[in-house]
Amino acid sequence: MTALARHRRLSAAWASGPGWKGWFSTVNHSDVGRMFLVTAFFYFLVGGILAMLIRAQLATPHSAFAGPGIYSQIFTMHGTIMMFLFAIPAIEGMAIYLLPKMLGTRDLAYPRLTAYGYWCYFFGGAMLLVSLLFGIAPDGGWFMYPPLTGRIHSPGINTDFWLIGITFVEISAICAAVEFTVSILKYRAPGMSLARMPIFAWYMLVVSLMILTGFPPLILGSILLELERAFGMPFFQVELGGDSLLWQHLFWLFGHPEVYIIFLPAAGVVSTVLPVMASTTLIGYRWVVAAAVALAILSFGLWVHHMFTTGIPHMGLAFFSAASTLVAVPTAVQVFAWIGTMWKGTPRLHLPMLHILGFFVTFVIGGLTGVMVAVVPFDWQVHDTAFVTAHLHYVLFGGFVFPILAGIYYWLPLASGRRRFFRLGNVAFALIFIGFHVTFLAMHWVGLMGQRRRISTYAPEDGWTAINLISSVGGFVLAFGLVIVLIEIVLHLVVPRRSRRNPWGAGTLEWAVPMPPPAYNFASLPRVTSREPLADDPDLGVRLARGEGYLGDARGGLRETLMVDIATGEPEQHVVYPANTRLPLVMAAVTGVFFLSLLLKLYWLTPLALAGVAVLGWRWVWQLGSDTDLGCQPVGHGLALASASETDRPPGWWGSAFLLVANATLFGSLLFGYAFLWTVAPGWPPAAFMEPSLLVLVAAPAGAALAVAGIALAVRRNRIGGDPTAALLAALAGALCLAGAFALLLAGAPHPTGHAYGATLWVLGCYGLVHALLVALMLAFLLARQRAGYVSRSRRAELAIVPVWTGYLAVVTALILAAVYLPGFAA
Amino acid sequence: MSDLLRILVSPAAWLACFSAIYGLSGIVCAAGPGAAVADGSGPRMVLVIAFLLAVLLQVGLLALVWSARFGAEPGLVRVVSRISAVTGLVATVWTLFPVLAASACL
Ligand code: HEM
Repeated sequence: MTALARHRRLSAAWASGPGWKGWFSTVNHSDVGRMFLVTAFFYFLVGGILAMLIRAQLATPHSAFAGPGIYSQIFTMHGTIMMFLFAIPAIEGMAIYLLPKMLGTRDLAYPRLTAYGYWCYFFGGAMLLVSLLFGIAPDGGWFMYPPLTGRIHSPGINTDFWLIGITFVEISAICAAVEFTVSILKYRAPGMSLARMPIFAWYMLVVSLMILTGFPPLILGSILLELERAFGMPFFQVELGGDSLLWQHLFWLFGHPEVYIIFLPAAGVVSTVLPVMASTTLIGYRWVVAAAVALAILSFGLWVHHMFTTGIPHMGLAFFSAASTLVAVPTAVQVFAWIGTMWKGTPRLHLPMLHILGFFVTFVIGGLTGVMVAVVPFDWQVHDTAFVTAHLHYVLFGGFVFPILAGIYYWLPLASGRRRFFRLGNVAFALIFIGFHVTFLAMHWVGLMGQRRRISTYAPEDGWTAINLISSVGGFVLAFGLVIVLIEIVLHLVVPRRSRRNPWGAGTLEWAVPMPPPAYNFASLPRVTSREPLADDPDLGVRLARGEGYLGDARGGLRETLMVDIATGEPEQHVVYPANTRLPLVMAAVTGVFFLSLLLKLYWLTPLALAGVAVLGWRWVWQLGSDTDLGCQPVGHGLALASASETDRPPGWWGSAFLLVANATLFGSLLFGYAFLWTVAPGWPPAAFMEPSLLVLVAAPAGAALAVAGIALAVRRNRIGGDPTAALLAALAGALCLAGAFALLLAGAPHPTGHAYGATLWVLGCYGLVHALLVALMLAFLLARQRAGYVSRSRRAELAIVPVWTGYLAVVTALILAAVYLPGFAA
Repeated sequence: MSDLLRILVSPAAWLACFSAIYGLSGIVCAAGPGAAVADGSGPRMVLVIAFLLAVLLQVGLLALVWSARFGAEPGLVRVVSRISAVTGLVATVWTLFPVLAASACL
């Protein structure tokens, strides 16, 4: 087959639908990555316009531009949009677009999940945007502290938009994190061992694990606050056994790692781009990997440093102050590795490099002011002043926006196949750099002079007028620079000047795909023998296009790829991806109906929407697998591999395992909240404990045991060629019995609005009930698949996935029962 | 997965101990003002013992990650897991050291 014929065959299998209609059904990572990036930069524009409104307001004293009410909406939406609708989605978009290309494969692990994540982001973001347009946007600050955001002080719908909209958007982050984790661990080019992985993939692996463990506390917090607002469950109301500090803990358990979730991918971009700009390789690759891991985990131990002024005892302050100073060490390791890399190589001052230098200067200053605010007495002085806002922009803008701009200029030729024509970028960089430092250096200064953040006005006699005016002028210079970047990118896309292949002389695999990349990325998959395959073999791209790698014969119009062993990268399984479908879009829309029904308090619609999600989920999984045994599939180079549906560790097993990591973190946060209220909140212990119910105490463990034993037996019977139906039915009965036990538990629980104790028990019971029903649905699905002929002795993959969920259900059942009944027994 | 575990175990153990001892300090203070100053009182000793146990755990993990039996094959994972193990130990000593010196409940 010629390279052209192969290209045509692969394109026919992989291309998305024609025209703009194709956007709605595409599941291809390049398409969805671009959609993420465009939407994220649209939100950057919106957030930027809001920033200009803030600076316009603060430019002069007693400004009549916006009143305090509107100003609160503006800064809240600015912070919220920048953090949740720009920064995180921009990272997701970049990684979705780049990772498969860098890893030498054809797509991410779950293409439909990629698309579903995008549409959740799209609809959730739209909800927030609508609130902004109608003047009912959230106004409690981007961290939404109760009691300000409780029902008494914020009675309108504004706060609900935040809680519900952001939870909706976060589904996309969780989807992306599961997707990245599994893709990086299991979907790589043959031979790409962990040690040969591109550094960006290491960073994204670390970040994905952080998202899986960092986002659930906020999702939980949002659920609890919304339950308090909508149904009066007093989790944060101190007079009824709640505590507003619980919100701060849950928020910052998420919020501090979030800062590193934003920074680390940007650091990954720097570690990738900088060595290429310096014509060398990254110094201390292993140390950089270790530093990223250390930074990620240390960042989870810093959350209380946002709460230094809440009256925490000295020892607690000292713990978190020490931890906060410690993160400077792994950060410095990376910075030294970058400096060493520049020292070793010969840096070329191309545009991406300019942005990296901008990053260095800005981020190091931000890091130093970070160490300043880690020192408790200093923090007490500057807390809630413009100094802190200035610091956070130095780390966020410096640590994220500069590297992202470097990345955009670096990978733009890859995405478009063109080279820059107008050289506006250098002017833009100068304006951004100067504008940024003028704006935010000045804000440090007024902050030290006492100007509070989030306050819409000040008096001339405060003496802050000139500095604020300078800061605002800087802000507009910065905005002007960013607009020029936008203009340049548009010009780049409309002026057709073809770029040569691999224009920067990079060594990583994304530059081995044709430019712009076709939907299938690689006509055949490479075998990797080093960290920089393209540096070893500059003709690799041509050889792959000729079909010299794996899966080069484009069989049967299928979207094929390989799964590999985590450590060695040796091929393990043959995977066929699902094709284009509107299912993710429809599923996200129905998920949106669920969230809208909560927002608009149309509670009759909520169960209908949930049923819709369940039906679509059923359909989603039904489309996978095969009703005939496929046997080993030839993948090239004389190798034949088991098809993914005929293994014990299919893609769904890996996805379930990592999704359960996030789920377990959410559950752990709930238990933490319960323990926190118990030990810290006033009004505990409650007046009366819940009466133990013998029925629940018998039915719940029995149901859980039956479910676990039933599914284990079904797996065993299937393995020896027997009929698993009876065992599956027994497991289903167990799950339903367990659901019944949780319903009974809820019926006997104290009223959830009387005291935080009752409210917490209620949430614990609902958590168990939902999981029992979910496992029952999975078991019913397995039975239906079994009857329809999708399960056989070799097609055992689906049977392998459900035990993971059943086991999890059994563990949480034990913990819920202990949490609900033990205190009563002890008392 | 075992490679990932080798890399993550020590810093993750630090995080667990760090959060647990922070929680413990809350419980100790809720129980009474006995641990208010850096003396040898019972509640203070609870914290100090917890600190020492955490350090011991890290030393144990470091030894495991370094050992030929449980450690990784030579290469990237071995180096990274050893650096992570040292990080876990240093982080434990550095961030929990205040139990020896700071007043607990003020
Ligand atoms: C485009 C240039 C930007 C300018 C001129 C700007 C300006 C400002 C100003 C003046 C405030 C303080 C509002 C107040 O406290 O009264 C603020 C708050 C904030 N900004 Fe920005 N910003 C910019 C970009 C960003 C970016 C890129 C991010 C994040 C990725 C970001 C995140 C935040 C957050 C989280 C807050 C706090 C909001 C709150 O207090 O609730 N900003 N910004």
